[in-house]
Amino acid sequence: MNSYLEIRRFRDDQIIWVSRSHFQLNQLHDEIIHRVITVSINQMAERYGPVPCPFTFFMMGSAGRFEQSVWSDQDHGIIYQQQGTEINEYFLALGKEISQGLQLAGYVYCDGGVMANNPLWCKSVSEWRQQLANWLLDSSWELIRQLLIFIDGRSLYGDASLLESLKIEVYQTIHKENLLKKLLSNTLHFKKGIGILGQILVETHGQHSGSINIKEKALFPYVNAIRLLAIKGNIFETSTVSRLKKLPEVELPTMKKELYKQQFLKLLNFRLSLAKPDNYENSHYLSMASLSKEQKEEVKEILKNGAALYRYVRNLIDKEDT
Amino acid sequence: MDTIFLMNSLWVMVGAILVILMIGGFILLETGSTRMKNAGHIAGKTILTFGISSIVFWAVGYGLIFGEGNPLIGLSDFFYSGYDVEGLALSGSVFFLFQLAFAGISLTIAFGGFAERAKLGAYLVFAVLFSVIVYPPIAHWIWGGGWLAEHGKQDFAGSTVVHLTGAMAAFAATLILKPRIGKYNKDGSANNLAGHNQVFTALSVLILWVGWFGFNAGSTVSVDGAFFGFVALNTNLAAGAGVIAAMIISWTVMGKADVPTMLNGALAGLVAITASCAFVDTWAAVLIGFISGILVFYSIRFFEKKGIDDPIAALSVHGTAGIWGTLSTGFFATPELATVGEPGLFYGGGLHQLGVQALGVVSSGAFAFIVSFILLTIMKAVMNGLRVTEEEEIIGLDMSEHGSYGYPEMVKAEKTVINSEPKLNA
Repeated sequence: MNSYLEIRRFRDDQIIWVSRSHFQLNQLHDEIIHRVITVSINQMAERYGPVPCPFTFFMMGSAGRFEQSVWSDQDHGIIYQQQGTEINEYFLALGKEISQGLQLAGYVYCDGGVMANNPLWCKSVSEWRQQLANWLLDSSWELIRQLLIFIDGRSLYGDASLLESLKIEVYQTIHKENLLKKLLSNTLHFKKGIGILGQILVETHGQHSGSINIKEKALFPYVNAIRLLAIKGNIFETSTVSRLKKLPEVELPTMKKELYKQQFLKLLNFRLSLAKPDNYENSHYLSMASLSKEQKEEVKEILKNGAALYRYVRNLIDKEDT
Repeated sequence: MDTIFLMNSLWVMVGAILVILMIGGFILLETGSTRMKNAGHIAGKTILTFGISSIVFWAVGYGLIFGEGNPLIGLSDFFYSGYDVEGLALSGSVFFLFQLAFAGISLTIAFGGFAERAKLGAYLVFAVLFSVIVYPPIAHWIWGGGWLAEHGKQDFAGSTVVHLTGAMAAFAATLILKPRIGKYNKDGSANNLAGHNQVFTALSVLILWVGWFGFNAGSTVSVDGAFFGFVALNTNLAAGAGVIAAMIISWTVMGKADVPTMLNGALAGLVAITASCAFVDTWAAVLIGFISGILVFYSIRFFEKKGIDDPIAALSVHGTAGIWGTLSTGFFATPELATVGEPGLFYGGGLHQLGVQALGVVSSGAFAFIVSFILLTIMKAVMNGLRVTEEEEIIGLDMSEHGSYGYPEMVKAEKTVINSEPKLNA
């Protein structure tokens, strides 16, 4: 496959076959993105010559967590080994090439600019080290958010050890400086999915009236809570399910781990089978009218357990800090 | 001169001033609940239409309500010259001003249904027609010795006369004008066209709340036994219960205590207690206000779902709460306090008074709606439409109707932001 449009056709042909299976779907996304990167590197080689030094291209956001839906936006960055103006220019151009390629292949640009064509997310190892140190020192909401995005990073191409070593340093600093609470406060507020009477809180206005925003109300509590536990337990996995699996018994009893894993997987499959994802924006909404009575009950359970898990983690970190 | 005459006149004058100050409350309410591009227009037209309704009320409105005539309409005392009225224990001019203020408020409520899309000309013409043809007959029926007064209709300060009448005219207008551009999506779902200033809206509620002491307590039109104090107490309790109920219901149903809902809850409590403030016990005032706070929440959702775009919730706050308030005396009026009509259902009065109240709601509501609808339909045909063009609506009525922005600097700043390049995104 030599062009982005060919990859787009490949995607359109293949995705329908895996769109009901969470694991197969995410494997396909990985494959598509990998192919885009390969084409991009070939294009760069034709124009500017070979890659100047070892590097890694890593995915963040839902792709980093291996939790993409049928449609997904782009979140990615580059870490390269050596420093230098020309090297820097090369990788920024590569980042631009890849993000354009991904866009042609069906992945919309990231609203917040978390992409390898942005100098903030495309740096040499030493510059990254400096930047991460700044993010850790600063307690501004925006920088902590970027740090949390980085922690969900997963290497998809190139030398994975470049990312691993930086993440190890980040974790060490978090533990040394007792920063967990700061990270917690950044994800403290999420939209409630369940009302006082136990009813599901749906959107009341706009095109998605009568639907629930599963990304914000259902997924985020699980993702954010488990990410905090993973950092606390020095776990480098990025997907919520594998983070859960690796959590030690003291952080979360096995019974609970199993429950939350089941609920989270159910949620991912609900999203695939029930949301009507004709584009990226729509794929976050689940229409209540389309659910059976049992399915509604299941969604309620997922929402309740997500909120309970979040409260548990919050208390755990609050207690530890005092 | 008789001390009581002087004190009555002074008290009702205070009431009239408070009610006229409520126009200020409505300016902030309508402006805050709508978008910035229409702010100057909304504020300015409110003053203009109060001017028009004052002149019309002086020329014919007062005579149509309180003049000698028949059970349907008054037909004397036009062009009021300031004389005292025989048998009235206060200054005639003060009574006139007090009544003028009420007519002005009813018109202001009606114009809530015009917000953000009607031409200025439509306001001017309808201000005259409403003040002659819609408001006076209903006020005559209930307060001017008309046919509903003969039945013993209870409406102490105008839940029906002022609020329901205004709301029904607003209802006719929203139906004829159709929803604002962008309010509804193709699939019928509603978008939230949020108002631009919740501080204005909250302040408006406080001004209206205080103004309501003139509205309700002033309607005693005398200082006899300082009964106005009791009326004011009931008024305040209902408003308090309304805001609490609205907070509880929005929190329970939507998961958040919605600010506009809370503010509308306070107003709904005030509207509801307007009919019953002099006829019910304090506990009943709390209950009436509380129920109105819940009703207003569901009423707003109902109208929105039905595709009726009511930017400042005039139909729910003044209509639904006005109906509930009028009916409430049929339940709660006590034998001691029911100086007009009979006691309510819960005080051994049976269904009689409730029936009278329902008759009043239906006949007054239907009259106000049908007549307004006919008038607006004729206006629409004669005036080449009541609504501004799409382009004018999009640039805002400040520009299209008046040629200058209510917030010139703010709107310029907004444009600059829109035109500048996004920073990070590729």
